[in-house]
Amino acid sequence: MPTIVACFKWVIDEAYIRAGPSGEVDLSSVSWKLSDYDRNAIEEAVRLRDEHGGTVIAATVGAPGATKGIKDALSRGPDRACVAADEGFRDLEPSQTAALLAAMVSGPIGAYDLVLCGEGSSDLYAQQVGPRLAEKLGIPCVCFAQKVSLEGRRVIVERRVEEGVEVLEAPLPALVTVLPDINSPRIPGVRDTLMASKKPVETLSAGDLPPVPAARTETVELRTARLERTCERFGAEPAEIVRFVDALRRRNVLT
Amino acid sequence: MAGVWILAEEHREVLELLHVGRGIADGLGTSLSALTLQAREEADECIACGADEVLLLPPLAEDQSLDAYAGVIADEARKEQPRVFLVAGTSRGRDLAARVAARLDAGLCSQCTALEIDDTREGILMKRLIYGGAAVQSLRCTTRPAMATIPPRTFDPAPAREGRTGQVRQLPHPQPSPVRIVERRVRERETRDLADARVVVAVGRGFAAEDDLGLARELAEVLGGEIGCTRPLSEEMHWLPDQACIGLSGVQVKPELYLGIGISGQIQHLTGVRGAKVIAAVNQDENAPIFGAADLGMVGDLYQVLPALVREMRKQS
Ligand SMILES: Cc1cc2nc3c(=O)[nH]c(=O)nc-3n(C[C@H](O)[C@H](O)[C@H](O)COP(=O)(O)OP(=O)(O)OC[C@H]3O[C@@H](n4cnc5c(N)ncnc54)[C@H](O)[C@@H]3O)c2cc1C
Repeated sequence: MPTIVACFKWVIDEAYIRAGPSGEVDLSSVSWKLSDYDRNAIEEAVRLRDEHGGTVIAATVGAPGATKGIKDALSRGPDRACVAADEGFRDLEPSQTAALLAAMVSGPIGAYDLVLCGEGSSDLYAQQVGPRLAEKLGIPCVCFAQKVSLEGRRVIVERRVEEGVEVLEAPLPALVTVLPDINSPRIPGVRDTLMASKKPVETLSAGDLPPVPAARTETVELRTARLERTCERFGAEPAEIVRFVDALRRRNVLT
Repeated sequence: MAGVWILAEEHREVLELLHVGRGIADGLGTSLSALTLQAREEADECIACGADEVLLLPPLAEDQSLDAYAGVIADEARKEQPRVFLVAGTSRGRDLAARVAARLDAGLCSQCTALEIDDTREGILMKRLIYGGAAVQSLRCTTRPAMATIPPRTFDPAPAREGRTGQVRQLPHPQPSPVRIVERRVRERETRDLADARVVVAVGRGFAAEDDLGLARELAEVLGGEIGCTRPLSEEMHWLPDQACIGLSGVQVKPELYLGIGISGQIQHLTGVRGAKVIAAVNQDENAPIFGAADLGMVGDLYQVLPALVREMRKQS
C-alpha cells in the first residue's frame, strides 16, 4: 500500500492583484488560495489511495499563518499533513522550496513511494519544484502527466508533449507533476472541512530542517503588466451589431 | 570554449536560440555553443547561423526520454563552466532544464520572454511573467551558468551568414534513465499556425456544447481567421487541440484582431493576446473582466450575437 506525498503551496490569488499608481504591484487587497494545480495533485493522490489503499500526506513549506491552507488541503482527502513554517520561508524561489521539501520528504516524512506536485504554482508558475525535488531526492521524475496509474512497484504515466503523448514508466519511488486535466478537484463540503480539523498535522520549524540554501536568482524589479485598451461598450440589439461591425471596419481589421 | 550555451530539440528552436544566444555572446564578449540532437549535417547550419561550437548529443535508445541527457549535460557544464545556458521551453525542455539546474545548483528563469546583458556586463537580466501574467518580474541569476528556458517562437530565427567557421564535438553517451518510454502517440499537427494568424476568433466556456463551436467557425470564416480557445476547452473538454490554447501555458498570438467569445478574461488567458492590435469580446456578463481588457466589448448572449454578426458582416462585405 503506497505512501503518497502531495505537495501544495498556499499562494496569493492573482485575481486580486492591482496596479499601483506607477505600475508597482499592489498586494494590499489580495486574498490567498491553494495553488490551482496543487488541487489536482492532491486529488490524484487521494484517488490513487482510494484505489490502492495506503496513506496520503499533504506537504508544504511556507511562511507561518497559512493554517487555512493546511485545512483546505486536508479537506480534500489527505490523511495527514506535514508543514514546515517559518518567517524565513517567505518568498522562497523554486530551488529553495525544492531543497526544503526534499529535506522534509527524506527526513520527517520518511518512507514514501510517490510524490505528486502540480505542473507549476499559480503565482510563480516556474515549473521547477517538481523536477528539482526529484533530483534532490535522487528519484525518477515524469512531468506534465495527464494520467497516472500504479502497477506493482511501477508508476505508469501519460505525459503531454508538443507532438502528442508519451507513455512512460518508472520504478517507485518516483515523482510526477500533474496537468490540470488529470482530474476535477473536488469542492470540499462542510463535513470535509470539519473532518480536516481532526486530522494530524506535523509542524516543523526552521530548526528541524537544514538551513535554507542561498537563493539562486534575485528579483531586480516587479511591475504590473499593463493591458491598456479603449474599453468601448456595445449592446446586442441589431443597431449595436451594426455599430460594432462599423467599429471593427474603422479600425481596419476587416478585410 | 564556454560562454553561452543553447539547447533545443527542434530545428526552428535551435535557430531561434542561436539568434538570442549570438546577441548575448557578443554582448558578453564570449563564444556561443549549441547543444543539439540534430544530425551531424545540421551542425554546419548551426555554425552558419551563429554557433562557434556545436556539441552533438548522441542519439538516445528508442525507449529513452530526453531527461536521460541531464547527467551528460551537467557533467559537461561542470567542466566547461558556461556563463549562460538557454534552453527551448518545450515540455521536455522545461523538465530537462530544471533537472540540469538542480544538478548544477544553478538559478533558472522559467519561460523568459526578454533578456539583456546586465549593467555589470557580467551576466544577464531576464524578464518573465508571474501571478498568471498580472506582473512582470525582472531577475538575474546569482549563479553560473545563469539559466533560462525560452518559450518557442519568442524570438526570430537566426539568419545564416557566409564564411562562418566553428568546431563540432561529440558528447559522451548518457547513462540510461530509469524512466522508460513504453509508447508514443503522435497526434496530427494542426497545419494552421495561430501564432501567425491575422484574425483569431477565440472560444471559451461560454459555449454550452462542442457542436455550437460551429457558430464561431462560421464567424472565423467570414473574418478569414483561425480558431483559438481558453485552456478549459482544450484541456478539460478536449473540444480543440492543445495547440489552440491561448495564454500563459498556451500560445501567444499577435493578430490584427482578436475576438474572444464566451471568455471571462482571466489574466492567464489575456496574457496570450497582449500583442493583438485590436481586442474585441462578446460576453453576456457585463462584469466579465475581459471587458476591462478589450477595445470593443459587446455585452450579449453569444447564441444571439454570433449569427447576427455573421449576417451583418456578410451584408457589409
Ligand atoms: C497557472 C495557470 C495557467 C493557466 N494558463 C492558461 C492559459 O494559458 N490559457 C487559458 O485560457 N487559461 C489558462 N488558465 C486558466 C484560466 O485561469 C481560466 O480558468 C480560463 O482562461 C477560463 O476560461 P474561460 O474564460 O473559457 O471560462 P470561464 O472563466 O468559465 O468563462 C466563461 C465566460 O463565458 C461567459 N458566457 C457564458 N455563457 C455565455 C453566453 N451564452 N454568451 C456569452 N457569454 C457567455 C460567462 O459570462 C463567462 O465570463 C491558467 C490557469 C492557471 C492557474
